[in-house]
Amino acid sequence: MNVQALRNAQLFDKIEPRLRYAGETMREVARRPSALVGGVMLVLVLLISLGFPLFYPIDPLEQDLLARFTPPAWQDGGVWVHPLGTDNLGRDVLARLLHGSRVSLLVGFSAVLVAALAGIVLGLVSGYYGGRLDSIVMRIADVFMAYPFMLLTISVIAVLGTSIFNLILVLGLSDWVTYARTIRGSVLSLKEKEFVEASRAIGTPHRVIIFRHILPNVFSPLLVLGTLRVANIIIWESGLSFLGMGVPPPMPTWGRMLAEGRIYITDAWWLVTLPGVAIMITILAINLLGDGLRDALDPRLRNI
Amino acid sequence: MMKRWMLISLLAVIGLALGAFPAAAAGADTLVVVQEAEPVGLDLMQNSIQTTMSVCYNIHDTLFHPQEDASVLPALAEKWEKTDDLTWKITLRKDAVFHNGEPVNAAAVKFSFDRVSKEGMQSPHKGKLLSAFTELAVVDEYTFTIKTGKPYAPGLYILGYYLPIVPPKYVQEVGDEKYNTDPVGCGPYKLSKWMRGEEIVLERFDKYYGPQPAYKTVVFKANPEEASRVASLLTGEAQVASAIPVHQRKKIAGSGKAYLTNQMGVMPYLGINTYEAPFDDVRVRQALNHAIDKALIGKALFGGKAIICNGPISPRTFGASPNLKPYAYDPAKAKALLKAAGHADGLDVRLAYPTYMSQIQEQAEAIAANMGKAGFRVTLEPYERAVMWERYKGKKHQLYIYWWDDAPEPDRYIYSLFHSKSRDYYYKNEAVDALLDKGRTIMDRAERAKVYAQIDEMLYEDAPWAYLYIVPEVFAVANDVDYQGRRDGFLNMRYAKPKK
Amino acid sequence: MLPYLLKRLWHTVFVIIGISVISFFFIHLSGDPVMLMLPADASHQEIEALREQLGFNAPLYEQYFRFAFRAIQGDFGNSLYYKIPAMQLIIERLPASLELATAAMIIALVVAVPIGIISAVRRGSLLDMGSMLGALFGLSMPHFWLGIMLILLFSVQLGWLPTSGRGTLAHLIMPSLALGLSLTAMFARLTRSVMLEVLNLDYIRTARSKGLRERMVISKHALKNALIPIVTVAGMQFGFLLGGTVIIETVFAWPGVGRLVVQAIFNRDYPLVQSIVLVLALIFVAVNFLVDMLYMYLDPQINYFEDK
Repeated sequence: MNVQALRNAQLFDKIEPRLRYAGETMREVARRPSALVGGVMLVLVLLISLGFPLFYPIDPLEQDLLARFTPPAWQDGGVWVHPLGTDNLGRDVLARLLHGSRVSLLVGFSAVLVAALAGIVLGLVSGYYGGRLDSIVMRIADVFMAYPFMLLTISVIAVLGTSIFNLILVLGLSDWVTYARTIRGSVLSLKEKEFVEASRAIGTPHRVIIFRHILPNVFSPLLVLGTLRVANIIIWESGLSFLGMGVPPPMPTWGRMLAEGRIYITDAWWLVTLPGVAIMITILAINLLGDGLRDALDPRLRNI
Repeated sequence: MMKRWMLISLLAVIGLALGAFPAAAAGADTLVVVQEAEPVGLDLMQNSIQTTMSVCYNIHDTLFHPQEDASVLPALAEKWEKTDDLTWKITLRKDAVFHNGEPVNAAAVKFSFDRVSKEGMQSPHKGKLLSAFTELAVVDEYTFTIKTGKPYAPGLYILGYYLPIVPPKYVQEVGDEKYNTDPVGCGPYKLSKWMRGEEIVLERFDKYYGPQPAYKTVVFKANPEEASRVASLLTGEAQVASAIPVHQRKKIAGSGKAYLTNQMGVMPYLGINTYEAPFDDVRVRQALNHAIDKALIGKALFGGKAIICNGPISPRTFGASPNLKPYAYDPAKAKALLKAAGHADGLDVRLAYPTYMSQIQEQAEAIAANMGKAGFRVTLEPYERAVMWERYKGKKHQLYIYWWDDAPEPDRYIYSLFHSKSRDYYYKNEAVDALLDKGRTIMDRAERAKVYAQIDEMLYEDAPWAYLYIVPEVFAVANDVDYQGRRDGFLNMRYAKPKK
Repeated sequence: MLPYLLKRLWHTVFVIIGISVISFFFIHLSGDPVMLMLPADASHQEIEALREQLGFNAPLYEQYFRFAFRAIQGDFGNSLYYKIPAMQLIIERLPASLELATAAMIIALVVAVPIGIISAVRRGSLLDMGSMLGALFGLSMPHFWLGIMLILLFSVQLGWLPTSGRGTLAHLIMPSLALGLSLTAMFARLTRSVMLEVLNLDYIRTARSKGLRERMVISKHALKNALIPIVTVAGMQFGFLLGGTVIIETVFAWPGVGRLVVQAIFNRDYPLVQSIVLVLALIFVAVNFLVDMLYMYLDPQINYFEDK
C-alpha cells in the first residue's frame, strides 16, 4: 500500500519546485483540444444547471398520475409540453434532469472537497511533522484502505440516515486516503528541497512554510486527482441509490432517476437512458478536462 | 510476451469454467421458482419471513389447510370436535409418514407442540401459539386433545399456519440448528439439496398421504433484482417469479410466454402517531384521510386492480362493516378540517416508509403530493428495514407507511395491530381492546362478525390510520404452468400443474 | 528484510484491530436485530427475553471484548439470521466472489494492456483517440445499468446467455463483463500513460538507437517497466473488487460475499458483518503484501527498508 505513496514521492523528486500561474495553466490547457472540448462541455453543463429556471421553469415534483409514462415528444404519444416525456408519476423528465444536475454536481464536487480537505490536512501534517504523528495517520489510512468502501458507506449511512449532507460527508470521508497519501508523498520530497530547508534555517514558522511553500506546490496533483474523482463520486451516488441509500426523495438526482428508472427499462426506455446519458456526458467532460489538466500541469502524474 | 500473456489468461478462464458446476438441466418435470430473497432456514418453526416460509410449506405439513375464508380443511388432522369451550379433540389420519419413514402420530404432534416452549428454541411463532394454547395431551396413538386458556375462535386456523409437525427421533438426533438446514417434514416435497446462495432443490415425496404434486422436482432460486427475475421468466429459465409489480403486466402478457396471477394480498396503510400534536386531534386525522386520492393511485399505480379500503378491516375479510364507505377524496374538506383544528396555514409533517416494500417509492411520493394539496407539507423519510422497525417501536415516527397481509382471519391482524397489549406505540383505545378480547372468544361466526364490524366502524371514525387500499401480490407464471397464487401469498407448489 | 516483515506484520495487526473496532461499533450503533428476528406481533416481553439471551443488554465495550476474545480463538459466532456459523457461510460464498473478481480482472487485463500499449506506441493515431474515448465511456457507465442492458441484449433478445445465477462459464460471462468494463477502461488508460512515460526514458532511447527492432524494444524493455504500476494497481483493485461487487452480485443473483454482507448489514446480523469485513480486509492486506513483494522483485532499485 505504501508503495503508491513511495512511487509518488519518487515522481516528485524529479519535479522542480515552481509556482505556476493561472494564466499560464489556462493557456497550457487550452492548447489541448480534448481538454478544451471537455472544459467547454463542463462549463455548458454548469451553466445549464445554474441557469435553467430562466428558460425552463417547470416544477420537477408536479405529478400527473394519469399522464404517467408519456414518451418523449418526438415519439408516438409524446407531447411538446413534456419534451423528454414523463416518469412513473407523470412528472416532467426534462425538469427532473435539470434539477437533478444540481444535486448530482453538488454531491460530486462537495464530496471531493471534503475528501481533499481532510486529505490535505492529514497529509500535510503527517508528511511535514513526520515521526509518531505520521505513523498514526498512516496506520489510520491503512485501516480506511482495507475497509471495503461500499460496506463502510452503507454502515455509516445506516447509522446517520440518508440526507444530502450525510451522503457528502460519507463519500468524502471514505475517500480521503488517496489525497493524504499523495500530499504526504509530495511533502516528503519537498521538505528536502533547498528552498524549504533555507526557509527553515532562517527561522520561518512552520505555518508560513506550509502555506507559502508547500501548499502551492502540491496544488497541481490535487487538482488533477480531484477532477477525476468527481466523476467517480457521481457514479457511486447512483450505486448507492441502487441500494436505496442515496439522496432521499423527492429531490431528483441523476443517480436516483437512473436507479428507479431501471425498473421500467422495457416499458419506458427514456427513464433509464436519459439520466444515463446526462451522467455520461458530464463525466466525459470532467474526465477530458481532468486528463488535459494533468497533461498540462504535470505530465508525470499520468498514472493517478 | 504478449502471446504468452494471452495464452495464460485463456487457460485461466478455461480452468474457471471447468471448476464451476454444471447447470442442472430443467426438464418438463421440473419447476423453477425464483423469489426475491433466499430462505434463511428451512424449519417452519424457527422462521417467519415470507420468502422463507414459502419454501417451508412445501416441505412441512401442519394439522389443517387454512382456507381463504378463514376456515380450515383437513390435512394431517382427519377429524376434530369441540369437547368443551376450551378443548378440541383431534384425530389424525393414519397413513401419513415423515420423509425419513417415522410415523406421524399423536406423539409426534405432542413433541412438535412441546418444542415451541422448549428452552433455547427461538421461535417467532411462540407468542401466537402459547398465548392461546396451554397444553396438548395424547389420547391414543392417533388422537390427542389440545386446550386453550380462554375460548379462542381462530385456534385451528393458527395451528394450520404455525405448528409444523416434525419427526421426534430425527429432531432429537440432529438438534434444532441442523434441523433448520436439513429438515425432514411430512409435506409433499422433501429437501434434496440446498446450495446456499444458489438454489434449493426439492423432490416429490412418493409416500405423501395427499394427492401427489404434479411436478417431480421444484427448484427455488433467489434473485433480488426485479428486472432479472422477469428476464429469467422470459428466457424460460424459471416458470414462477414472485414480487412482480403490476406495471409489468402488459409487457409480460405481451411476450406471449407468461401471464400474471390476479392474486390480491397486501394491505399498505398509513399509520399516525395519535399521541402527539397535531395528530392527537381527530379532525387532523380525518383531514389526512380526505387528502389522499386512493382511487387515482389505485388506478394509476396498480392498473385499477387495487381494492379501496374503508376502515382497517379488509373489505374481503369477514367482519368488515357493510355500512362504511371509503373516506372521499376532498382536499377542500381536508383544508376545512385543518382550519377548524387551528391549522389554517397548513402543517409540516414527516412521513416514514420502508424502502424494501414493493412499489413503495412511487406510492409514498404520490401520497405526499396529494397531502401537499390539502395543506400537509410532507418530508419523506425512507428507512431501510432495521431502522424503520427500530424507529417504529421507539415511537419515533409521526406518519408511517407499513403493510400487513390481507389476512382472512380478522383476529390475526386487527388484534395484532390495534390491541394495546400487542402494540400501543401510536394508538390506544380501551373500547377497541375490550371488543377485540371479546371477538376472539366467540365461536359463532356470524356473532363474531358483528363484533368486528363494530370495531371497524369505531376505528373508521377515530381514524388512527389513513386507510389506503389492498394491492395485488402478483406472481408471474410461465404459460405452460397453471398456478393461480393464493391469498396468503405463499408459494405452495403442490397447487401448480402443467397446463394442457 | 526481517525487520521490514515484522513491521508489516505489526501494521496488519493494527489494521485488523482497527477494522474490527470500527465495524463492531458502527453495526451495533445502527440498531438492534432482535426486533427483526421476531414477527411483527411479538410482545415486549418476548423482545426483552431474546435481547437478554443474545447478550445485547451488556455495555458495548464488554460485548466487543467478548467478541474479540472468541474471535482470537477462531470462533466468530453464529449468524443471527441463518443460525449457522458465520465462517461457514463466508467459506461457502467466497469462491463465487473470487471467481467473479478473477474473471473480471483477467478480462480487464487481457483487453486493456494490449490496447494501452498500442495506443501509446501509436500516440495520436485514430486508434489511440478512439480507444481512449471508448475508455472514457467505459468509465462513465454505472455497473448496474450496464448489467441490466447486457441481460436485455444477450438473454432476453438474443437468448445466448443465462440471465443470472452461477454455474457454467456462460453464467460467468455477463457479470464479469459488467464488472470488468470500467476496470478495462481504467487499465487501458493506465497502461497507455505508463507506456508513454517509459518510452521516453533514456534507456529505451538507447535501445532504439542501438537499432533494436521496435517490437523487441516494446515487449522486452518497455513493457517490463510499465508492468510495475499496473501490477500495483491491479492488486489494489482486486481487493476492492471482492467487497465492491455488491451491485453486480445483486443484478445477476451471483452468490458471492458482497450480497451476503449487504443483506447482513440490513439485517443487523452482527457476527456475520464483523466476520466478513475482517475476512475481506485480511484478503486485501494479503494481496497488497504480495504485490509489494512482486514490486520489489520487478524493481529492485527501490529500498523499502527505510521508513518513508
